[in-house]
Amino acid sequence: MAFTSPALLLLLAMSVFPLLWALYLSFTDYSATRGGPADFIGFGNYTAILTSAQVHQRALTTLIYVVGAVALQTVLGFGIAYLISRRTHGRGLLTTLFLVPMMLSPVVVGLFWRFMLDAQFGVVNSMLGSRGLGQVEWLTRQRTALLSLVVVDTWQWTPFIMLIALAGLTAVPKYLYEAASIDRASEWFRFRTITLPLVWPLLLIAVMFRAIEAFRLFDLVYILTNGGPGVSTETLSFHVYKVAFLGFNTGTASAYGILMVLVVIVLTQLYLRYLNKLKEG
Amino acid sequence: MRYPKRRGRSSVPGRKVRLATAAMLLVATTVAACGDGKDDGTKASAPKAPATIPELTKDPLTLSFIWFDWPPAHALEAFANAEYKKERPSTTIKVNTVPNANWHDAMFTQFAARKTDFDIAILDSQHIGEAVTNGNILDITDFVKNNIDVTAYNPYLLAAYGQFPQAETGKRDENASLYGLPLLGDTWTMIYRKDLIGDKAPQTWDEMISVAQKCQAEHPGVSGLAFHQANGSDAAAVTYNTVNGVYGGNLWDSKARKIEGVLNDAAGQEAMDVLVNKMKPLTAKGSGNWFIDEVNAAVAQGKACIAFNWIAASGGLLDPKQSTLGTTRKQILDKLGFATLPRQKTDLVPLGGMGMHVSAYSAAANQAEALNFMKWFERADIQKKWAAAGGVPSRTDALQSPEFLTAGPFNQVYTDSVPRMRDMWNVPEYARLVDIENTNVNAALNGAKKPKDALDDIAKEQQGVIDSSGRKGGGGL
Repeated sequence: MAFTSPALLLLLAMSVFPLLWALYLSFTDYSATRGGPADFIGFGNYTAILTSAQVHQRALTTLIYVVGAVALQTVLGFGIAYLISRRTHGRGLLTTLFLVPMMLSPVVVGLFWRFMLDAQFGVVNSMLGSRGLGQVEWLTRQRTALLSLVVVDTWQWTPFIMLIALAGLTAVPKYLYEAASIDRASEWFRFRTITLPLVWPLLLIAVMFRAIEAFRLFDLVYILTNGGPGVSTETLSFHVYKVAFLGFNTGTASAYGILMVLVVIVLTQLYLRYLNKLKEG
Repeated sequence: MRYPKRRGRSSVPGRKVRLATAAMLLVATTVAACGDGKDDGTKASAPKAPATIPELTKDPLTLSFIWFDWPPAHALEAFANAEYKKERPSTTIKVNTVPNANWHDAMFTQFAARKTDFDIAILDSQHIGEAVTNGNILDITDFVKNNIDVTAYNPYLLAAYGQFPQAETGKRDENASLYGLPLLGDTWTMIYRKDLIGDKAPQTWDEMISVAQKCQAEHPGVSGLAFHQANGSDAAAVTYNTVNGVYGGNLWDSKARKIEGVLNDAAGQEAMDVLVNKMKPLTAKGSGNWFIDEVNAAVAQGKACIAFNWIAASGGLLDPKQSTLGTTRKQILDKLGFATLPRQKTDLVPLGGMGMHVSAYSAAANQAEALNFMKWFERADIQKKWAAAGGVPSRTDALQSPEFLTAGPFNQVYTDSVPRMRDMWNVPEYARLVDIENTNVNAALNGAKKPKDALDDIAKEQQGVIDSSGRKGGGGL
C-alpha cells in the first residue's frame, strides 16, 4: 500500500477528483469566468442537453463520422494486415512504414491535410487538375467536408487496426492451414472458416478502441474545418468545447461531458458483453 | 514470518482508516475548491487601478502581453524593447502570442483561473464587456484622468478600446468608466489591382461589384473578389456586418437589447443577398474558409482583382519575397492600390484594432509597470514612433503625422476611415454572439443554408443568448 499510495493519490487528484467535481458542477449553473456561487439546478442542464435540437444535430454528425471512419479503417486495416501477413520478406519494414501516420500528432496531420486539401493551392486538386478533373471544395462543402474528415482520420488510424489485426493473423496456428491444404480447401474457404473466425474477436476489440476515440474527435475538426461549413462538421466534442470556452457555461459543459462519458460506458459494456458471448460461443 | 505480520498490519481496520483518510482528503479538496468559487463570486466588477502610478520596482522585470500571432505583435515587442528600455532599462517586454482562433480562450481561461501569465491583455474591443463583468481587468478611469490627455484622441476610438458599457457608434460617454487604452487601430482597406481595373477605386459598393465582375470575366484565373469567409474567429461575421452597415442595416437595438427584427429587417436581408448572391460568386472556388492569410495570399499571387483585409495585416503585401506582383516594393505598388471602403446607403466601415488592459491578477509591481508603460505608450512622440515602426496609432496628432501617413500606402486609408467606424456588440455574451453569426454566415456563403434562413437563424439565436441571462440550466447550447 505504501508503494502504491503516491500513484493512488495522483489518480485521485488528477482523475477521480476532476470527474467528481465535473459531476457536481453538472447540477449547477456555475460559470468558470463569472465565478460566484454555483447554484444547484437539479437536472436542468441534463434536460436541456437531451432535448436540444443543436445537440441532436451534433450527435447525428458524430454518429455518421464514427460509423464511416471506423468501418473504412476496419476494412482497410484488416486488408493491409492480411496482405502483409502473407509476405515472407520485408514484413517488418512494411509494418513500420504503415505505422508512421499513427505516430504523428493529430494537429500536425490536420495542418498538412488542410494544405493538401485546399481548393486553390492544395496538391490534391492540383493532381486532379493535371488529369483534367475539376476542382473539388474538400473542406467548404457540407458533404465533402465530413468525407474529408473521415478520409484524414482513416489515413491516420488505419495502421492501428492493421497492427491489431496483424497480431491476430500471425497468431493463427499454422497447422490449421496445413490441415486445410491437405483437404484441398480453397483460399476463400480457409479465410472464411479459419482466418476470420480466429481474428474476429481481436478485430472487434480494435474496433471498440477506435470507435471510442472517434466518438471523442476534436482536434481534426478544429484544424481542418473548424466545424464548418456552418456547423455541419461539428462533433459532440467540438460542441462541448464551444459551450465550455465560448460562453464559459461550465455547468452545462460538465453535464454534456458526463453524458458523453455515460454513452461511451454504456455502449462499451454492451459491446463487451457481446464479445464475451462470442468468446463463450 | 515477516510477511504474515505485514499482512496483519494491513488488516480491515487499517484499510478502513486509509480509505477514510482518502475520503476526507477528497472532501477537503472539494470543499476548498467550492470555497474558492464562492470567494471569487463576491468580486463582481473590475477592481480600480490607482490614479497615480505607484513607485516602480528597481529590480529587473518582464512585462508580459498576450496577443494573437500576427505581424503587429512582433512589431510591438521589437518596438517596445527598443524604445521603452531607454526609459526603463531593467524592464523587458515579452509579447506572448497564440493562434488567432485561440486568442479569446487563451486569455479567458487564465482569467477563469484567477491567475494570468500576462500583465497586459490585448483585448478585442468586444471582449471588454466580458472581462469587466467578470472583474478580470482593472478599472483605469481615475488613472486616465490623471495621466492621459483624452482630448488628443478621436472620442470614439478612446471609447471603443476602453469604455464599458459600450458607447454609441461614433461617440464617447465621458461619464462611463474606462478599462483600457488604444494599442492598435485598424479597419478594412479595399485592395485593388490598378493594372487590371484602373487607378481609380470604385466609389460605391454596387460599382465595386460590377467592376469585380468585369475584371473576373476579362482575366481568367483571377477572381473578382477576395474577402473573409471563414467560420473561425470573427471572420465571416465581420464581412456580413460590413455589408450590413454599408446597406443601411443595424446589428441590434442596444437600448432595447433587441436583435430579432432589427438585424433581419429589409436592409439586413438586402445585405445578406448582396453578400451571398452577388459577391460570393465572384470569389475563388473553395474560398469559403478564407481569413486574413488566405486573402493576402490571393492578392500576393495575383489571384484577385479586389480584396478586403485589415490594414494592420496588409504590410506583407508589399514584401517582394512574398509576392508575385513584382520584384520591388515599387513594382508591387504600381499594381496594387489601397482605398477606403466604397459607400452605398451609408459610409460605415468596421472598427478593428485592440486596446491594452491590465490584468487584475498580475503582481502589484507588474501592474504598476503596466500603467507606466501605457502612459509612456500614449505620449505623442511615442505614438509617432510607433506609427513609423509599422503600428497604427490612435492619437489624432499621430494619425495625421507624416511619420504615419508615409509609413505605408494604406495608412491614409485608416486616417480617412476613423470618422466612419462602427463596432459590433461589446457585451459579456460577445463570444457566443459572434460564433452564431460566424457559423451562419459561413453556412450561407458555402451553400449549407439559404441566405434568408441563415439571417433569421442568426437573429433568433442571438436574441436567445441575449434573453437567456437568467435562464436556469442549459446555458450555452
